[in-house]
Amino acid sequence: MNLDHFGMDTITLAGPLEAKLRAVRAAGFTQIMLMARDLVGHPDGFDAAVRAVKASGLRVTGFQVMRDYEGLTGTLHNYKVDVVKSMLKMAQAVGAPMLLVCSSSMPHATGERERIVKDLQALAMLALPLNIRIGYEALSWGRHVNLYPQSWEIVAQADRVNLGVVIDSFHILANRSTLDEIDEIDARKIILVQLSDFMWERIEGPEQRIETARHLRVFPGEGVHSAELADLVRRLDRIGYRGDYSFEVMNDDYQNMPLETAAARARASAKWVTDQVLRRSLPVREQRPAFDHRTGGASTIARPGLS
Amino acid sequence: MSINESLPEPLNPLGIDGIEFVEYATREPLRFGAVLEMLGFALVARHRSREVLLYRQGGMNVIVNADAAVTGEPAPPALMALALRVRDASYAYRHTVDLGAWPIPTRAGAMELNIPGIHAVGESIIYFVDRYQDFSIYDVDFKFLPGADHHPPALAGLHFFGVVQAIGAGRTDEWLDFYGHLLGFRPLPEGQYFGILPKGMLLESPCKKFYLQLIEPPPGSEDIVWDEEWLRLGLGAPDVLAATRLLRERGVVFVDRESLHTSEKGALTQFYLDGVAFEFVHSHLVQP
Repeated sequence: MNLDHFGMDTITLAGPLEAKLRAVRAAGFTQIMLMARDLVGHPDGFDAAVRAVKASGLRVTGFQVMRDYEGLTGTLHNYKVDVVKSMLKMAQAVGAPMLLVCSSSMPHATGERERIVKDLQALAMLALPLNIRIGYEALSWGRHVNLYPQSWEIVAQADRVNLGVVIDSFHILANRSTLDEIDEIDARKIILVQLSDFMWERIEGPEQRIETARHLRVFPGEGVHSAELADLVRRLDRIGYRGDYSFEVMNDDYQNMPLETAAARARASAKWVTDQVLRRSLPVREQRPAFDHRTGGASTIARPGLS
Repeated sequence: MSINESLPEPLNPLGIDGIEFVEYATREPLRFGAVLEMLGFALVARHRSREVLLYRQGGMNVIVNADAAVTGEPAPPALMALALRVRDASYAYRHTVDLGAWPIPTRAGAMELNIPGIHAVGESIIYFVDRYQDFSIYDVDFKFLPGADHHPPALAGLHFFGVVQAIGAGRTDEWLDFYGHLLGFRPLPEGQYFGILPKGMLLESPCKKFYLQLIEPPPGSEDIVWDEEWLRLGLGAPDVLAATRLLRERGVVFVDRESLHTSEKGALTQFYLDGVAFEFVHSHLVQP
């Protein structure tokens, strides 16, 4: 089992930043997804938080989260551009290679495709000199963009080298989206995959989606959608995705656990995910010569439809 | 159908028309000025209120900025700004900022000309200048030296040829997005290159009057410092060997080793002031 492509998210853990970093490292993870408030809210200030992250030896998976950015005009648009610039500067300071941008849920945001594309192009341009990639994620309660195929269409249309999609299993499961369109995505344009599950079959309505997303997510392998999650990961593996998997698990109960306990659950989950890919891919893998150090199996170039 | 109707959409939306000036930041303006003079430039004017100097030869303006606020730790003179001639500077600024460029803060003080600009690689700046034909931007901020030739001729037909930029590993396509979408630069067809140095990726300005060269770190150089920045200025010469002969007589030292030496294609000076070099390239460009 190789943990190198799995990361935890500071959002899962309670307590001060340094304790989170220690627990994640102690559990054997090598990377961490950072939430802006974990750094901004550091008692000794943002710079001290950056130093703590750098001293931890953990690689930064990415920085989150920019909300309600696209589809706005006038003063509100200019305000959001200022906000995102601040996020980009923080991401750069802490060495984050990507900024997560969630599709807008704002009632003021237009759904006009051209506008959204233009806004994301401009954001990718702002991020470019800073060597940061932009990952656009379809929030399941997004006002106009709430399905992952929509986010992919927009990213493909925007066509910027440092702009891609973030696939978050929670939103796919919450919307009961089919996974068939995963095969349509260019794996090189998937910036990050965030994995989590939840405990009941269906979620009705956006309010319940928000409530579940923010308080009741669980690690992959712990919820009731294990089959769908395993299918998602296998499909991503098959289309050639070799990037990071981050556990974006927001759960009030985990906030009340010792950090080591929550991190141990994350570690068990990483093993569960790895097993899903390995187990089902074996017949295909026998045809492939190269050894993939991440999954511990053979891999390299996967072709859609190969298996 | 007229010719205009058959043209595709404009490939030069900002109306870029060459380089108005390049700007170096240095804490050692005298020593660096001496290097520029060796290269054929002449000091023609000083800024009215800052420690900023204007050197010139032929159609080239080089600003030497020794304003303490600009430089930090002692370092070699750094190529910190490129001023592009454009049709409408205000439009160029708004257009590029709309597209996602980072605007520079307004720096002009009282009675000084405000030159709009955007951030480029690292700490560098791209300025937009539209008053370059009937009116000189230098007349506002600079005092010309009494008795000095305001337009010293170029040595051996030297002219701006381009700028070499170091970029991170695997970043070529991203910087192509930057210069392509913001300013209308286009990559030259594969195999077309200039000079004698590592090829990288060559971009042509939409006015076809100068070039940018993007260079990723060479393989096996993981341990060397390779910051993204403008590395050096390229000067064009119709006859590189004639130009280097003249420059040698003036004291310029060129790199001459087995892997890299002066030829009719190009030449590279040694480092001056611990880190600034100039490249000379055989150029088909007509001297302005």
